[in-house]
Amino acid sequence: MIAVKLASENAIIVYFGQQISDELVDEIAFYSALLKQQLADLIIDIVPSYTSLMLSYRIDKINHQAFSARVEDIIKSNTRVIKSATIKVIEIPVLYDSKVGLDLTACLEAKALDLTSFIKLHSECEYRVHAVGFSPAFAFLGTVDPRLVMPRHRTPRINIPAGSIGIADNQTAVYPVESAGGWQIIGRTPIDLSLANPDNLRLFQVGDTVRFKPVDDAEFLALGGQR
Amino acid sequence: MSFRILRSGFLLTIQDGGRFGLAHYGVSQSGVADEQAAYWANHLLGNHFNDAVIEITLGDFECIALDETDIVITGADLDFTLNDKSITMWQENHIVKGDKIRCATAKKGQGVRAYIAVKGGFKTPNLFNSRSVNLREHIGQPLQQDDVLTSTRSEPKPIKRSTPLFLRPNYSEPLILRFLASYQYADFTQTQINTFLNQSYLIQSTSDRTGYRLEGKAIADVASKMISEGIAYGSIEITTAGQPIILLKDRPTIGGYPKIGTVFSLDLAKLAQRQPGCEVIFKSMDLEVAQQLRQQFNAFFGIKQSTLNLN
Repeated sequence: MIAVKLASENAIIVYFGQQISDELVDEIAFYSALLKQQLADLIIDIVPSYTSLMLSYRIDKINHQAFSARVEDIIKSNTRVIKSATIKVIEIPVLYDSKVGLDLTACLEAKALDLTSFIKLHSECEYRVHAVGFSPAFAFLGTVDPRLVMPRHRTPRINIPAGSIGIADNQTAVYPVESAGGWQIIGRTPIDLSLANPDNLRLFQVGDTVRFKPVDDAEFLALGGQR
Repeated sequence: MSFRILRSGFLLTIQDGGRFGLAHYGVSQSGVADEQAAYWANHLLGNHFNDAVIEITLGDFECIALDETDIVITGADLDFTLNDKSITMWQENHIVKGDKIRCATAKKGQGVRAYIAVKGGFKTPNLFNSRSVNLREHIGQPLQQDDVLTSTRSEPKPIKRSTPLFLRPNYSEPLILRFLASYQYADFTQTQINTFLNQSYLIQSTSDRTGYRLEGKAIADVASKMISEGIAYGSIEITTAGQPIILLKDRPTIGGYPKIGTVFSLDLAKLAQRQPGCEVIFKSMDLEVAQQLRQQFNAFFGIKQSTLNLN
């Protein structure tokens, strides 16, 4: 069952489940696109995230009860979730090295893994974008292999360099710009994901697939990486 | 050209009605922290509500006019002067080349944010659907000394429009924040809700455009963090330590603290004018009343928000 709750005087939030899963990502991406298309003249913004969708809407055109009813109706009358046949795949090169992976050595020790196995476990699977937020183009990727799961630092770091790849619990992500944060930093991508390139804003959407490609020092530098 | 900044004070930014249609890419709302004051400034000039204004934070500002134009100053009364003589706020003022506008540093009990609107709005770069600067997101830059702002020239007029006195807010009166029961409200126990309602909270000095942090008697046994979800303007997060954070214009799009309610948007405008150390209390409000009041406000200022079909 879905649950619709009030979020604010001009927003509601729809819950599709309580557990994070790749299946739910497909569902939320599907309903997000569907609602966007069918209620484009009413919706101001739509925020998909893990298990929910928040929708803000024009209160001069429709009130809370009527909008909630329209949204529920659209969801309940479209129960065949269509997975896009062409899921966008984004490949991100990563240098896994303690020179740039501030927590890599500690992670290897904590997980009793050698570097080669660690890289294999992190880069040989596909991740789905479960949410985008925290800052623009920051994509929360799931799901990390159980052997790599690491909690956040108790005290966040003040400065995590742009491009840093982190792990927090069973999620992984790239920091698009230098920021504070508590994730375990295991590597760095040489590519610029900041809004200095405005196209980066639209790089990640909930439902997209991300792959990490290990690169060596020379490739990292050749791709413009800084360390 | 219209103005050169001579002193930028604590934080000086360009803001407009906000950034919409990109929240699914993690882009936050942004825009003027006090919608009431900022929209009055544009309204008096006959501007569009979304025209960009200067948001002055805690004063210590000075600029010089490079051309003839009309301006309106609203918001916090920070002892504004025009060429060292007192200037009337909440009213149109004609400015000529060489005029100096200045304000003092905010004193205790005064408001936090003042707005300067200019005829036709400030023509700073449009960044992802909006001119609003968001420092947390690295979108745009704060205004600095010697920055030059562009707007259109306007001739003197025989009339000056002003806001009636009874509609000008008093930022030193006690603030009751009306809120809607939303999100995880039903997951809070009656005891937890009573703690929240039956006390006054103090605004903390760590408050900013992203959120206002409050401190009071802690709400006991708050659930730890939950799955992150979309957070609306005014969401009241309760931290693991049991203290509220009210999320404002520069908030992230998603967050993982449980939320006990959502403050009514027009009360958030008043909150953004309260300095650290001020007290606030919460009072529940009906959704129908909130929607009606907000709609009247939108109709008065001609606010029409963009929808996804425009993006």
